[in-house]
Amino acid sequence: MASLYLLIPLGVGVVLGAIGIFIWATSSGQFDELDQQGGRMPDDEP
Amino acid sequence: MSQPRDWTVFDRPELRPALGAEGRDGCEVLLALDGIHCANCVARAERVLGGKAADVHVNLTARTVGFRFRPQQVRLSELLRELDRAGLEPRVLAHEEPAARAARERRLAFARIGVASICAMQVMMLAWPSYFGVRPDHAIEQLLRWAQLAVAAPGVLWAGWPLFAAGWRAVRSGALDMNVPVALALAAAFGASALRTLAGSGDLYFDTATMFVWFLGVGRYLEGRTRARAGERLRLLAGRRALTAQRRSGGALETIPIGSLQPGDTVVVAPGDALPADGELLEVAAELDESLLTGESHPVTRQPGQAVLAGSVNGGDAPLALRVTHRGADTTLAQITRLLDLAQTRKPKVQQLADRAAGHFVAAILVFAAAGLLLALLRGAGADAGLSIALAVLVASCPCALSLAVPAALAAATSRLARGGVLVTNAGALPALAAVDTVLFDKTGTLTVPRLQVGRTLCLAGLAPQECLRIAAALEHGSRHPIAAAFTVPLTAPSAGDGGGLQAHDLRHLPGAGISGRIGDTAYWIGAAAQAGVPLPPEAAGLADDGSTVIVLTDTVRALACFALQAQLRPEARELVGELQRRGMNIEIYSGDAAEAVAAVARQLGIERYAARQSAQAKLQRLQQLQQQGATVLAVGDGLNDAPLLAAADVSAAMPQGAALTQARADLLLLGDSLGALAPALDVAQAARRRIAENLAWALGYNLVVLPLAMSGHLAPWLAAAGMSMSSLLVVGNALRFGGRRRAGPAARIEPAARPAEVL
Repeated sequence: MASLYLLIPLGVGVVLGAIGIFIWATSSGQFDELDQQGGRMPDDEP
Repeated sequence: MSQPRDWTVFDRPELRPALGAEGRDGCEVLLALDGIHCANCVARAERVLGGKAADVHVNLTARTVGFRFRPQQVRLSELLRELDRAGLEPRVLAHEEPAARAARERRLAFARIGVASICAMQVMMLAWPSYFGVRPDHAIEQLLRWAQLAVAAPGVLWAGWPLFAAGWRAVRSGALDMNVPVALALAAAFGASALRTLAGSGDLYFDTATMFVWFLGVGRYLEGRTRARAGERLRLLAGRRALTAQRRSGGALETIPIGSLQPGDTVVVAPGDALPADGELLEVAAELDESLLTGESHPVTRQPGQAVLAGSVNGGDAPLALRVTHRGADTTLAQITRLLDLAQTRKPKVQQLADRAAGHFVAAILVFAAAGLLLALLRGAGADAGLSIALAVLVASCPCALSLAVPAALAAATSRLARGGVLVTNAGALPALAAVDTVLFDKTGTLTVPRLQVGRTLCLAGLAPQECLRIAAALEHGSRHPIAAAFTVPLTAPSAGDGGGLQAHDLRHLPGAGISGRIGDTAYWIGAAAQAGVPLPPEAAGLADDGSTVIVLTDTVRALACFALQAQLRPEARELVGELQRRGMNIEIYSGDAAEAVAAVARQLGIERYAARQSAQAKLQRLQQLQQQGATVLAVGDGLNDAPLLAAADVSAAMPQGAALTQARADLLLLGDSLGALAPALDVAQAARRRIAENLAWALGYNLVVLPLAMSGHLAPWLAAAGMSMSSLLVVGNALRFGGRRRAGPAARIEPAARPAEVL
């Protein structure tokens, strides 16, 4: 049970981190066009 | 709250062109209203503008209002001030702004929904022990409660911010709407839970609050996305315009952004480029492709001194020069774009009904919640139990499912139609589409393919038809004219013998007067029969009898061949007409074309009622006659002369190459350039109508059952939230039920890769 003292705050931290990443991804336009993103990686090749 | 603004700057006459199109009957403007969120706000905006402005369209989703006003009678600043005072937060849109603003807002809305869903799920995980009455030791329990607060805070405060803001606006302006109980329930649930977390005891409602935010966000997002998508496509179409211009100053050319153009400037447009502004053609005649504006696929010839329009493409082979007369928001193209915006502000009638119903609900809910709280206090159950009852009433009876019922079904149907190659630009047309019993078709470009094909060839000088076609193809090679396409396309087909092979040189395009050139040592000319410089035999005139365009090939002394160019029937037209007739629909053709051509098409399709040489006015009269007889009419067309017909029909569909103006009036766009998608679209519309009816029945029924339970305290808030969510899920799930096995239409089969796979 003692491990919960560490795991719960850690879990909360992970959730808040996920929220941050999600907001970043949205604001950088990655969810604007869901079909086109799959093609982005090959397009990046030099 | 912000300071009262000074709006008078918008009265300055020099700003007016940038705000809206000025016409004979007033000035048309489109404003952003950031403060509208519900049917009541719409009514409020209409009340504020009523009497002072005409043609008021409020779009709840795009949060815009379009109207016309007379600058002589009323000041724009006065209207703006009154809208501001009513809490509607008007913003003046610069002409280019809406698209970028819409994209930014869509991103933000998406981010809020995502955050709300993450938080809702995580809070539920953390609340899990309490759902099952598990009592971990005290310290762990406290830790779990604080963790819930930490995760719920962004989910309620940030993701739910628009809900609070909307509720506050409604309270401030004194008009109750659905946002008030929503905001109240959220604030009460979150506030009470936060206090109880600090106190260290009592039930928590963080899960309820986050789930609430999530579902409301999804409903609004779905509603907004359908329309945003349709709008984007149309905007894209009308957005086909130049961004920079080549200005001639002195002897040199400089490239400048079109925003810096001034009336009076001389600009040069390279072949294949779009004209940056409206203007007057200088120096030489030019061939222009005006299909964006008129839908006319043939380039038209303009002489020096004639007016040319921004958005048309230099279809000739030499640069052209023009003097700018109108630029930016004054151009005809910009006015069309504005029409599109206005067309987007129509709201489906069913939706209006549902919104109004939701509005009436609200007052009742607030009364019930207050009554529940009072009763509990009178019974002596304590403030804690009273709060729980009030919360349960607020949450359980929130008309979420009611407000989702219509948009979810329409969004699902719209998405399904898009996969089948039909783009819905006005979701309100779907219920009408389900009731269609009469179809009016335009002929040219709708039942027939817009591109011409060589029908008959008449050889006059003993040459083989193949030989004549090869010479014609060599001459037309490299020309952008649609007549050229009729000759050059067959050459690439395997049936074209040795594949052409002739090489023409000294090619000269004479705008409006054909093409001359040499093949080997022989000089040739090809062009319209009326322009031929040599006498034509009488049988050449006979070729035009069935409505064909006659093209003549000559050398320097005599005519070598005549070609009859015909528009071909669309391959899927026959199948569609047969299918519609099987469904017992009345089908009629109304065309501006010659009688022979229309009769031929009608005969081929087995359509009995048709009329040729119909003006836009005549088409409209026939439509009104049909509507008076009680018919629900679907009009299908593409040309500019169809625009009034499409606007007046109960439902209208336009072909994708049609004029932008025509498309702006159409409810449906047939994206795959195929008529075949129409029949399946009727099925989808009928299914959508059934879904809406079922959804509304369910949502109303659910609320009626659950309200007494919540009032009597038999419903814990978390159970109320779960019920509300399940009810919403059921409505959404029902909306998505569209018989997944059947393919939506031929377009889906032909080019699956080109259709975006929708997530819905």
